[in-house]
Amino acid sequence: MRSIRRSDARLTLGAGLLCVAMGCASVLWVAAVGGCGDPRSGPRWTGAHPGVETPRRGGTFVFHHETDVRGFDPHVAFDELSTMGVKLMFDCLLDYDYELNLVPSLAAALPDVSADGKTFTFRLRRGVRFHNGRELTADDVRWSLERMLNPATASPGVGYFAQLDGAAAYEAGRAPHVSGIVVLDRYTVRFQLREPDQTFLNALAMPFAAPVPRESYAPGARDVARHPVGTGPFMLVDWEPGIRVTFARNPRYWQPGKPYVDRMIFELNLQREAAFMRFLAGDLDHVHRLTPADRLFLGESRAWGPYRQAQADADLWGLEMNTEMAPFDDVHVRRAVAFVIDRERWSLARNHALAPLGQALPAGFAGYDARLPGVQTRDLVRAREEMRLAGHPDGLRAPVTLWIGEGPTGKIYGELAQANLAEIGIQIELKPVAYPVYLRETGRRHTAQMVYGGWTQDFPDPATFFDPLFHSRSATSTDATNRSFYRNSTLDALLDRARSERDRARRVAMYREANELVTRDAPWAFAFSSSRLEAWQPYVHGYRIHPVWTNCFRDVWLDLPRERITRRYAPRATMPAALLPFGAPR
Amino acid sequence: MDVRAWRRFRRNKGAVAGALLVTVVLLLAALGPLLAPFPPDLQFTDALDRATGLPVGAGGKYLLGADQLGRDELSRILQGGQTSLGVALGATVLAVGAGLLIGLLAGYLGGPVDAVSMRGIDILLSLPFLLVAIVVNRVVDSPSLLVLCGLLGGLSWMTLARITRAKTMQVRELEFVQAARAMGMSQARIIARHVLPNVVQPAIILGTTLVAQMIVAESAMSFLGLGVRPPAATWGTMLSDGATMLSYKPMLTYLPSAMIALTVFGFNLLGEGLRDALDPKV
Repeated sequence: MRSIRRSDARLTLGAGLLCVAMGCASVLWVAAVGGCGDPRSGPRWTGAHPGVETPRRGGTFVFHHETDVRGFDPHVAFDELSTMGVKLMFDCLLDYDYELNLVPSLAAALPDVSADGKTFTFRLRRGVRFHNGRELTADDVRWSLERMLNPATASPGVGYFAQLDGAAAYEAGRAPHVSGIVVLDRYTVRFQLREPDQTFLNALAMPFAAPVPRESYAPGARDVARHPVGTGPFMLVDWEPGIRVTFARNPRYWQPGKPYVDRMIFELNLQREAAFMRFLAGDLDHVHRLTPADRLFLGESRAWGPYRQAQADADLWGLEMNTEMAPFDDVHVRRAVAFVIDRERWSLARNHALAPLGQALPAGFAGYDARLPGVQTRDLVRAREEMRLAGHPDGLRAPVTLWIGEGPTGKIYGELAQANLAEIGIQIELKPVAYPVYLRETGRRHTAQMVYGGWTQDFPDPATFFDPLFHSRSATSTDATNRSFYRNSTLDALLDRARSERDRARRVAMYREANELVTRDAPWAFAFSSSRLEAWQPYVHGYRIHPVWTNCFRDVWLDLPRERITRRYAPRATMPAALLPFGAPR
Repeated sequence: MDVRAWRRFRRNKGAVAGALLVTVVLLLAALGPLLAPFPPDLQFTDALDRATGLPVGAGGKYLLGADQLGRDELSRILQGGQTSLGVALGATVLAVGAGLLIGLLAGYLGGPVDAVSMRGIDILLSLPFLLVAIVVNRVVDSPSLLVLCGLLGGLSWMTLARITRAKTMQVRELEFVQAARAMGMSQARIIARHVLPNVVQPAIILGTTLVAQMIVAESAMSFLGLGVRPPAATWGTMLSDGATMLSYKPMLTYLPSAMIALTVFGFNLLGEGLRDALDPKV
């Protein structure tokens, strides 16, 4: 008995030590080989015809995102990855080129604008067909916009079209149509505004204004979010929920010769680390949203040099302070926070993947000024002085709750803020919450004292930041986008005038003034705007980062070295309907 | 522990190794704040490389290097050990206490007390541990160390309660207990003086291995971001922080992993050694 037990113990010890040894060995091996981040590893596949720049037809392009798509109804989808798919399947009257100019898309030309700036007349391109084969007419444009504005659609885009004549009456159900949308003939439509609005054309370029065929929305038709029908270069052919969406080329596309690739595969729910490994293995044709380590590797790699692009994002990130709640109802406390944030150090801790920013507009926007008076920079002396002016020379007694999104990224910025604010005696308690909770609770009055958050442009115009973030109109009691609940009648008036001002120089001056006002009043401690790094396989051509649309793959063409992808993603074999338990899927 | 048990324990090399490991880890955790060269939450700018922003490696001013925010890794490992072990020990004490108490009462009193508590245990045992822990931690407004302790402990006392109950039922029928009852001793006194000492051994053994399980559970929760509040370090949070830098700074992952593995290994060895020593019949 005894000897057996002893040998048992020895066995346990031996097995344990063996496990530890094996663990150490694998650790050393991974360290030596360097895992996936080996800077020597370059692309595995190159193009079949390097140097040839004539677009080729055919092939399958595979891209990904780390979360799941909710739906492809262009009038409802408002998140980045739905828009990625929406941009493949839908066109609008207008679009942006890579130099940020508005260019005609479904419109035959840019619209005729009346002298008072309130009337826009569009002539449609002829012969444009929906995926179902029917021709696009002016009537579709009107029907689609009205469908989007209809409260039953619950579109988040309604606010962008508030200046349309008769929109309010239509939304309230007092009119059968929007009086400001007039169909002049089969190919001509006119928009009439109440006040001039310099962002109206931008709004028309948003997917919210995408024309859709009304027959797809008839009672009994299939759910449009799952079975979208548009005029764009690709059509949805298959959707495995949570796994992948497959698009096929639209043979009736109005741009001759386009699109180039036969199929597009949108892989969903791929984690960043996994996506990058699959990209390196040649399974994905495009990669974005990298972990800091993968980003460093890709940025340093010489082999990937020609196949990557970094670009500053048009977005704002920072600490949003609730101006209705103590202690941030005091402008001096807010300014103290703005002056104590060490933006350079934040950037360093994120491996320089972000650009420090101390004002209400990212660089490149009209109204941005590198030498703006009152610009928020790290200045510990001034921060302490502001705390003294606020009556808290020794800091705050009660801790402040900072809401952050769940996950490692929010936590990093939370901890950076924590360290900075401790320097002026403000203790921060972090409150990590799931993203839907974060959106709901931070947009509710008197709920979140301080929020780490950001805002990305909807269109390249300063109004895209000021109106949702700082106009009192956006400080609603629930679902507010003005999450600092900042109200300033001077600013409101200035923003309203700027929105309708037609003289470009005067308009820029107004936004510069607004920028200065918000920066000084500090409802936000502005921290940085981010930048993105994307890479693609060497055989992918025709892609570069679009300044407005994230991951816009419409013009991609492939110089495939082999048949790999097309084989791998062969269409699923369809089962006879009789064998399916609930009949054919709709 | 009587002399024979101690002799059995001493001869078992695995048990001694386990005890040694546990002692070292406990000492490190207890003395952590004294040994740490820097405050664990202080972010040093010179701990990040100017050009790349990567944390500096081991050696030099920061003995084990720095983490991605420029905090001293050694200081955080020490603080993390204190938190992780604190949570694990707290949860274990809670679980052992509850398990003993409920097991004793159910076993000694029998009847409805026994029936109710055993069905309660059946229900609790049918819940998936990590899932419940995650849900409760989500619902609680401000997760803290105490909540975490309560959660982990509150979900792991059931096995011990069952074992204690079975043992108690045996002991209850023995002559000396019956004698005590005949002499008019109160029930509480009988349980405390005569039953408890005879059922405490499985609790010691189970408790030791439970510490190991609690460390793993706490690490898992912290890795998922459901543990303690930042910036407090635990080995689990350090593991999840380090994972984003795995290909560049593998040490940030390996260090906390190694600490977790060694500690768990130590507690398991010790637990097994204790079982062999205290309960030669098993």
